[in-house]
Parts: sequence; structure tokens; C-alpha cells
Amino acid sequence: MSALAALFRREFALAWAGGGGTAGPAAFNLAALALAPLAIGPAPDILLAAAPGIIAFAMLLSTLQSAERLFSEDAGDGTLELYVLSGQSFALICLVKSLAFALAVFWPAPLIALLAGIAYGMSGEASLVLALALGLAAPGLALVAGFAGALAAGLKRAGLLIALIAAPLQVPVLVFAAGAGRAAIDQTGTAGANLLLTAAFSLAALVLAPAGIAAALKARLE
Amino acid sequence: MLSYFANPERFDRLARTLIPWGWGLTLALLAVGLPWALAVSPPDYQQSESVRIMYVHVPAAWLGLFAYGALGVSSFVFFVWRHNLADLAARAIAPFGAAFTALCLVTGALWGKPTWGAWWVWDARLTSMLVLLLLYLGYMALRAALEDERLAARSGAILAMAGLVNLPIIKFSVDWWNTLHQPASVFRFDGPTIHASKLWPLGVMALALTILFGVLVLTRMRTLLLEKRADALERARERRLEAEAREASQ
Repeated sequence: MSALAALFRREFALAWAGGGGTAGPAAFNLAALALAPLAIGPAPDILLAAAPGIIAFAMLLSTLQSAERLFSEDAGDGTLELYVLSGQSFALICLVKSLAFALAVFWPAPLIALLAGIAYGMSGEASLVLALALGLAAPGLALVAGFAGALAAGLKRAGLLIALIAAPLQVPVLVFAAGAGRAAIDQTGTAGANLLLTAAFSLAALVLAPAGIAAALKARLE
Repeated sequence: MLSYFANPERFDRLARTLIPWGWGLTLALLAVGLPWALAVSPPDYQQSESVRIMYVHVPAAWLGLFAYGALGVSSFVFFVWRHNLADLAARAIAPFGAAFTALCLVTGALWGKPTWGAWWVWDARLTSMLVLLLLYLGYMALRAALEDERLAARSGAILAMAGLVNLPIIKFSVDWWNTLHQPASVFRFDGPTIHASKLWPLGVMALALTILFGVLVLTRMRTLLLEKRADALERARERRLEAEAREASQ
């Protein structure tokens, strides 16, 4: 267990500091959220109706944008080989690595969602629900993006490929997380159900994605 | 049986006998099914003549889904037992599956405009078919991007299996969500809800296009096999020429 804890600390520190760290994806997220109203126009009713979708979508884009750096360096410099030789379950290592990355990089996403929700005209309560939904969605989004990143690790135009591979698999979480925000705005009473479905997606990804990531990475070590 | 046909030579012989028969059956079924579906079968009492689009749309949708299932199964067989023919099948299936999915979306749009009044609605069934098309495109893009053929085969298999999660979502989207697209009307527990005068031509068209799909996949698999063999021969010839050139210079 202590080996996994050490791994978590290492990966967390690397993700925190290296390659733009937390600031890169957060800035990307903010930029997307700042541009959307300029494109849609400032009409408050339209912005309010679109807010949960735009905010969830901007976060999804930031997970796609950062997934490239999750595995490409480790695939290039031999770190992965050492991880495989460590005797720990490789899927578990992939899980710890992805979660450390997600925690270090995506922790501002719910805060951004909260602020953006209010800026787009949502009530404080609805913004909180949306922020909670995105917090629950974060592990699932990060793991699916990590799976795509593992498949595309080390390729020249990995970014494009990651977006094409991961986006279809991330569709359910986008639907449910944004759905929770919309339900909170319209007070339809289904916000809780949407939150649970978002959490269910993340839990399923927690089980399935590490096996997929491990298989994808092992394929390139053979 | 699987390993019996996993021999490329045997597969080639089998495919060469099956392909002409398959073409014959496809053409015969289309010769019956197309006039039946497009002229003889009665128009719908609400949709009038535009219902005939269904005779292409439904088989295309079924094949788009079926092909992804077949892609997933071939990928699984390749991933577990490393049969190269299974990988070849997966490679061959993907473009045709994508083509039928695209055909389903296009015919659906052509039908939707006169019937629903819109080319496209963001309904669960339509959107999930679009996601299926993206899955196919992602699979093909990943394989195209990886130059190492073995790595491309293994990574592709992993991705195709992950995409299988989406199949039940598409199939049951019309039951789980309240959508504009009608629910299943052919395969139901309480029997089909389509009248026999439309069900029969639909069945003939579905069978014709399914056999066509099989023939196309077999032909593409043979082409890929021949391509591999041609590559190997080409490399062997280059090595021989190099060796001869070296001997001549000594």
C-alpha cells in the first residue's frame, strides 16, 4: 500500500508542477466560458438556458485538452516499464496515477463552474448543484480521457485523436451533469437523480477504465 | 471450428466460394425486395409514399449496430486468442459499419424532413447513432495513426471493446427516454406491430443488405490478406536485390 501512496504523491506533485500544472486546463476552461457568451450574445434568458450545458462542455474540453500529457512522457522515458516491473497490479497503478492527475489538475473545475453559473445568471443554489455535478463527473471524465490518452500516447497529433476517441465515451456524463444543472434551474425535482447518474458513470469508469488503460499501455510495451 | 478457419489458406478458399454465392443471393433478393418495397407494398395511411425510405433506413440502422457488435466480437477474439484473421475481420468491418451508420443517418434525415418537419432533432436515438458513427471514426483514426501494425491491432481491439458499452444505450434509447423516434416495432415480445404487407418486403431488404455486408467484408478481408502477402513478397525481393548488389560489389 505504501508503494501506491508514494506513487500517488509522485504523480500528484508532477501533475501539480509540470507542463502548465493546474493553471493550464483551468485557464482553458475559463477562456471557453468567457468566449461562449460573446458568440451567443448577451441575452440573459438564452444564456441562462444554455449555462449548464456550456459549463459542463467547457470542463469536458479541458479534460480532453490535458489528457495528452498524462501518459506520453512516461511511455517515452521508460517509467511505464518500471511500473510494470514493480510487482504491483498495473491496473491499480494506472488508477492511482489517473486519480492523482485528476485531483491535481481538475480541482478548480467545480469552483469555476460555481462562479460561471452565477455569471451566466443561475441562482446560487442551482450553481452549487452544477458544481457538485461537475465534481462528481471529474473522475469519470478524467479516466475516460486518460484511456484515450493511453491509446494515443506518444503519437505526434495525439490531441486530435484523443478528442475523437474520448468524446463519444464521455457523452453520458455530459448529459447527466448538465441535466442536473438544468433540473436545478427549472426545479423539476430530477436534479438528485441526475447527480446519482453522474456519480454512477464515474464509479463505472473507476472500475472499467483502469483495466482499459493498463491494457492499452501494456500493448505498447510488448 | 474457429481455429480451423483461422488458417489464412483455408479462409481464402472458403471466402472464394462464398463470395460469388453471396453476390448471387444479394442480387436475387434485391431484385425481389426493391420493386416490392418501392412499388408494390402499400403506402402508409399517414406518411403516404415517404414510408418507403424505411425499407433502406431500418436495414441500414440494424447493420450499423450489428457491424459494431461484430467489430467488438472480432476484437475480443483477437485480443484473447490472437487470431490474426479476427483482427483482419475487425479492420474490414469498420468502414462498412461506418458506411451503413452514415446511410442510416442520411435516410433518416430525408425521411424526417417531410414527416417530422425537421432534417434533424436532438433526440436520444438520433444522437446515439451519431455517437456510434463517431466511435467508428475514432476506431479507424486510431488504427490509421499507429504505424506499428501489431500495436494498431491491439490498441484498436481495446478501443472497439470499450465502445461496446454504447450498443445497449443505442438499442434501448427509444425505450428509456421519451423520444420522437418510434420505439422498436419489429422485434418485440408481443410480436411485430407492422402489418405483414410491409414486414415482408422489409425482411427481404434486411436480408439482402445483410448478405451484401457479409460479402463486402469477406472481399475486403481477402484484399487485406493479399496486400499483406504482396508486402511480404516485396520486402523479400528487396532483401534479395540488396544481397545480390552486395555480392556484386565484393
